[in-house]
Amino acid sequence: MNRDELIKYLQDKFQDKIELLDTGRVEPFFRIKPEDLVGFCRAIKDDDRLCMDYLCNIGAVDTGERFEVVYNVSSIKNRTRFDFKIVMEYENAAIDSVQRIWPAANWYEREMWELYGINIRDHGNLKRFLLPDDWNQGNPMRKNWDAPDFKRMPEF
Amino acid sequence: MEIAAIFKYLYELLASTGLPSMLVDIIALGFAAVVVFLFLALVALFLVWLERKVSAHIQQRFGPMRTGWHGWIQTVADAIKLLQKEDTTPANADHPVFYWAPIIAFVAAFMAYVAIPFGDGLIVSDLNIGILFIIAITTFTIISLLMAGWGSNSKYALLGGMRSAAQVVSYEVPMIISVLAVVVFAGSLSMVDIVESQAKIYQWYIFRLPFGPIAFIIYIIAATAETNRTPFDIPEAEQELVAGFNVEYSGMKFAMFFLAEFVNMFTVSAIATTLFLGGWQGPLLPSWVWFLIKTFGMVFVFMWFRWTYPRLRVDQLMEFSWKFLVPLGFANLILAGWMKSSGWFNW
Amino acid sequence: MSELRTQEFQINMGPQHPSTHGVCRFILTLDGEVIIKAEPVIGYLHRAIEKICENRTYAQCIPVIDRFEYCTSMSSEMVFVLAAEKLAGIKIPERAEYLRVIMLELNRIASHLIWYGTTSLDLGAITPFLYGFREREDVLDLFEMTCGQRLTYNYIRVGGVSRDIPKEFIPKCHEFLDKFQGKVDDYERVLTENPIFLVRNKNVGVLTPQMAVAYGISGPSLRASGVKWDLRVDDPYSIYDRFRFEIPSFQNGDCYDRYLVRIKEMRESAKIVGQAIEQMPEGDIMAKVPANFKPPKGEVYSRIENSRGEMGAYIQSPGDSKKPLRVKLRGGSYNQLQVMPELVRGHKVADVVAIMASLDIIMPEIDR
Repeated sequence: MNRDELIKYLQDKFQDKIELLDTGRVEPFFRIKPEDLVGFCRAIKDDDRLCMDYLCNIGAVDTGERFEVVYNVSSIKNRTRFDFKIVMEYENAAIDSVQRIWPAANWYEREMWELYGINIRDHGNLKRFLLPDDWNQGNPMRKNWDAPDFKRMPEF
Repeated sequence: MEIAAIFKYLYELLASTGLPSMLVDIIALGFAAVVVFLFLALVALFLVWLERKVSAHIQQRFGPMRTGWHGWIQTVADAIKLLQKEDTTPANADHPVFYWAPIIAFVAAFMAYVAIPFGDGLIVSDLNIGILFIIAITTFTIISLLMAGWGSNSKYALLGGMRSAAQVVSYEVPMIISVLAVVVFAGSLSMVDIVESQAKIYQWYIFRLPFGPIAFIIYIIAATAETNRTPFDIPEAEQELVAGFNVEYSGMKFAMFFLAEFVNMFTVSAIATTLFLGGWQGPLLPSWVWFLIKTFGMVFVFMWFRWTYPRLRVDQLMEFSWKFLVPLGFANLILAGWMKSSGWFNW
Repeated sequence: MSELRTQEFQINMGPQHPSTHGVCRFILTLDGEVIIKAEPVIGYLHRAIEKICENRTYAQCIPVIDRFEYCTSMSSEMVFVLAAEKLAGIKIPERAEYLRVIMLELNRIASHLIWYGTTSLDLGAITPFLYGFREREDVLDLFEMTCGQRLTYNYIRVGGVSRDIPKEFIPKCHEFLDKFQGKVDDYERVLTENPIFLVRNKNVGVLTPQMAVAYGISGPSLRASGVKWDLRVDDPYSIYDRFRFEIPSFQNGDCYDRYLVRIKEMRESAKIVGQAIEQMPEGDIMAKVPANFKPPKGEVYSRIENSRGEMGAYIQSPGDSKKPLRVKLRGGSYNQLQVMPELVRGHKVADVVAIMASLDIIMPEIDR
């Protein structure tokens, strides 16, 4: 399906749970609510016309005002691809784990927890990952993170 | 100038000094031991250099070129380096075991040369159980491997020691069976008798179809495994256990293991030459030159294997020995026995 | 007689280890020689590339992203630059597209030669390593001739490429391509039919297609499991639809099939380079991109087929800044290392090395 058919199909299937954003430059970008995450993911994986069985990427973004968690999914059978994100506040940021739907998500979520501090419910293995074992200086990828030897490049 | 004649002359000289004959024999044997030891030390140093050059040329590069002409002083430089390294011992190592392991490896490697004929008349002692003695002595290496693995008090060393002990024990059996096939045909365990039964080139055991080539191939495979060379170098697998059983050794102790490995390689080549390739026999050149040519040819073949083949996993290696080589070896032995007793193919 | 009680013991493999392809540590729980549990510990090569990129302009990011996957730097730059170009809607000139394809495929050959050398080195055959690197020297000479660098190129820029190829490039490239197929035949002669190699690799580390897709594996490892998925054909980017090449794929999904896939890919990449050189037109190599490049507000995820699988870059641009808000990089080895504990369970210690080599995992992609 091409881009427009995909958008129409998803909007028909999920109606008001899903909102098309205008920031997606190539593939359509949607926004869903945090509580609908697991249901949505399972639905797009099990759906025959979509069959999004391949999780490309999970990334977290700190926009300066809030967190966003971006999921990029793709389908090997149907050759479609789209992205969706969840938006949440800094306070008590937490999402459910989707590793039971796509086992690949395990490490992506673990990295997100470690670098951003977003709590992942039902993960089961939130341990130190990329940072040293004795790291106690917070969540480095946040925009408001600072450290004595972290120098920002000058604006020019 | 025959070398055997020189030794005979020296012996006569010693005997004529009037000392009691037991003392004369002891001094003569001591002198022979020193000569053999010096020769083997030189051979070991030469083999280290040869391995580096052979491997380099197989891999399309030059190898050592700067230390002397084509790098021949390289081994001396390596020996000096190893001598001046700090001799570390791991913290909780079992000291006596850790200390004696390389010494036992070294001694076992050298003692086998009592019965190896370097040429016509050039043998320290022509034991009438020659080949049996040699095999018994080379089996001592297993003890040193286990001691090294245990005494190092390190998981990697222990794993390496266990694996190599299992490997060496499994490959002793096919080696002995292939040697037995030759012994059955020659009718004697003495090394000199075995060489003399291969008087003509078509009588060399490698050419005695059908059991000869099979015995030779089984022997070569088993010998590669005995000396821990690729494709059977799991105990020293750098890529997996980082040098296995000798991971905790440094300096002179490591050099002893290293040299013992090369001397072992020379030993198995010498045995292959004696048993299968006609020993020291050959036209024109002196007998010891023929021996050296044949033995170094076999050494080259072992080196060639090392730089061509990947290595087998430890369970595959054992499977190969017990399920394939041992039955084949037994069948071969029976064939040799039948050939000898019935007189067929007996030229 | 009571059962003999055996005890499991834990052994640490790495981080300093000749065979872990970078700095990776495995904590293996063994029962004798059989592995019960394997836990990878990573992070030894974490250089905070994503955080650094948030603080650099797009042009300044490119040398940093080079180091993301330094064995295939061209692919790393390409995926980032593709995303930036999609954000801004830039169309790049034809000659630049062809140059990019040539460099990408040559880089794929170089990366597969590293893989070939290290795989045989890990299994104990040391000589093919030297042979592979001998050919790689020719490829690196071509790169050095073009952009001055052998490993991290800073060549593919937003809008095109930074320099045109010199006039010695095409003859030298033809010389390389002419002898390359013969050299790959040599490599196959050493290892492909070798019984020891077969017995070490057949039925070792079998990856089923369902497991591969579920864990996000892509690239040669996925194609060896029977799923014929190659982004150059199935989600085309750049001008790959103009070249004729085959996508090798096999059925078993064991280490041996992954080896065969990559050997065949080397040959196909050489063919693509040959076709690209013939079809390449004259022209500009760089589109008109403003010096202070500020892509409009938006976000995009672009992906390309790297020699290790799907490589992806997610860029979010705030709209009025020369610096990206967020760059998230995704490498193929990340998922492959994640599936390794499943693959090695029940195998022996020596197989960990064989499996890791056949999956072609390298650490910079994982740790970033």
